[in-house]
Amino acid sequence: MPHLAVNDIHAKYGKLEVLHGIDFDVDRGEVVSLVGPSGSGKSTVLRALVGLTPVTSGSIEVDGTRIDYSAPRAVRAARDRMAIVFQQYNLFQNMNVLRNVTLAPTKVKGRNRKEVEAEGMELLKLVGMDHKAKAFPDELSGGQQQRVAIARALALRPEILLLDEVTSALDPELVNEVLDAIRRLASEGMTMLIVSHEMSFVREVSSKVVFMDNGQVVEAGDPSAIFDGPKSDRARDFFGKVLRG
Amino acid sequence: MNYSFQFNVVWRNFDALLEGAWLTLQLGVFAFSAGCLIGLVGAACLSFAPRPVRWLVMGFVVFITNTPALIQIYFLYFGLPEFGIRWSNEACVLIGLTLNAGAYLTMILRAGFLSVRSTEMEAGETMGMSLPQRIRYIVVPHIAKSIYPALANFFIVILVMGTSVGAVIGVDELTGQAINLSTVNYRWLEYFTIVALMYVVLTFIASIGLALLGRWAFRVKARIF
Repeated sequence: MPHLAVNDIHAKYGKLEVLHGIDFDVDRGEVVSLVGPSGSGKSTVLRALVGLTPVTSGSIEVDGTRIDYSAPRAVRAARDRMAIVFQQYNLFQNMNVLRNVTLAPTKVKGRNRKEVEAEGMELLKLVGMDHKAKAFPDELSGGQQQRVAIARALALRPEILLLDEVTSALDPELVNEVLDAIRRLASEGMTMLIVSHEMSFVREVSSKVVFMDNGQVVEAGDPSAIFDGPKSDRARDFFGKVLRG
Repeated sequence: MNYSFQFNVVWRNFDALLEGAWLTLQLGVFAFSAGCLIGLVGAACLSFAPRPVRWLVMGFVVFITNTPALIQIYFLYFGLPEFGIRWSNEACVLIGLTLNAGAYLTMILRAGFLSVRSTEMEAGETMGMSLPQRIRYIVVPHIAKSIYPALANFFIVILVMGTSVGAVIGVDELTGQAINLSTVNYRWLEYFTIVALMYVVLTFIASIGLALLGRWAFRVKARIF
């Protein structure tokens, strides 16, 4: 049984349907990457998983249990198991780094503050940000903010980490520090669903790649198969352009 | 000008003026604090509540902000007894000013709500935070910082212009005390000169207090002058 199963999901923004039936599975400990052109619906899939974009039909299952996104309690339960990191970090600007990381575990999950802070410092260490625990987001570079955002998501102890184009808003020299943090998580067996345009990184860390276009899955498979021998014309065309040079 | 100032009359009754200043400060602080709570609820309703509730809140805001505070206080002081509700003059001023501040602060705080980045709210939502938790931990600190100068200015308005309305229905705040005392010996100019200076000192102290509070609590680098 897959850890996460996405079955034929459809989603709309207003009247515009942006997902036209998406299917894929993620096994425990697996790193699955969603790739494809901008506007293909990759981020919408992640938003649907955490209940930010309503799914109009289809189902999402975690460990075989279907999540009913119309029930607030079920959505909360889903968010307990899946944490998302956004492209624009979305850190709370009025709090320092450590407070960003510890807020939800203490206020939402009611855990002991001291214990959460100690764990928060460990997580910040993991992403190389423990020396900035007292800094505020506006005092950090984009790459540093993104690493804090990753630590903040991990502080929720998710089973599945969703990463939505986490390097797209960064200067090129800051990309690697974030990718290193993700590599470390992958090597520790964290289940991750990644939306990324960093093709060499995707190829390196992913156990499966899902190529999407126009709200549909065009093809999926292991990275070498998708990158070296895409079957569909659309994927060939896309990878031909993005991997050139 | 052949008017001879006699400030010794004022100094003899300075204690009463100090009492009036103290009441002014209390009225200002209470009306502003309670008004902030009303404003926060009002702004949250305007941002998140269903349409009928938004209309209700807008109706309250439009009514209050388009009528003078004095008339609202008159209504409480002279109108409510007709319905069997009798409050002291201090209570009428306090409640009237609080409602008045609440309406203005609803609109001031609403601007703060609108300036919160929706992405931060989304992040809070995906982390399992309820709407009240998001308001408490994301919106309030944000608006406290972003519209702190507007809030501080409004506090000064309440402190100086709002509370002095109380004098009209016999509340012995600073202006009220000055009126009481000057009617005894007709030293209007002396009393109101000193009272004007006392208002300046009061707002000066309040400004410094607010600036320090802003720096300490919200990292607002507010200029005092």
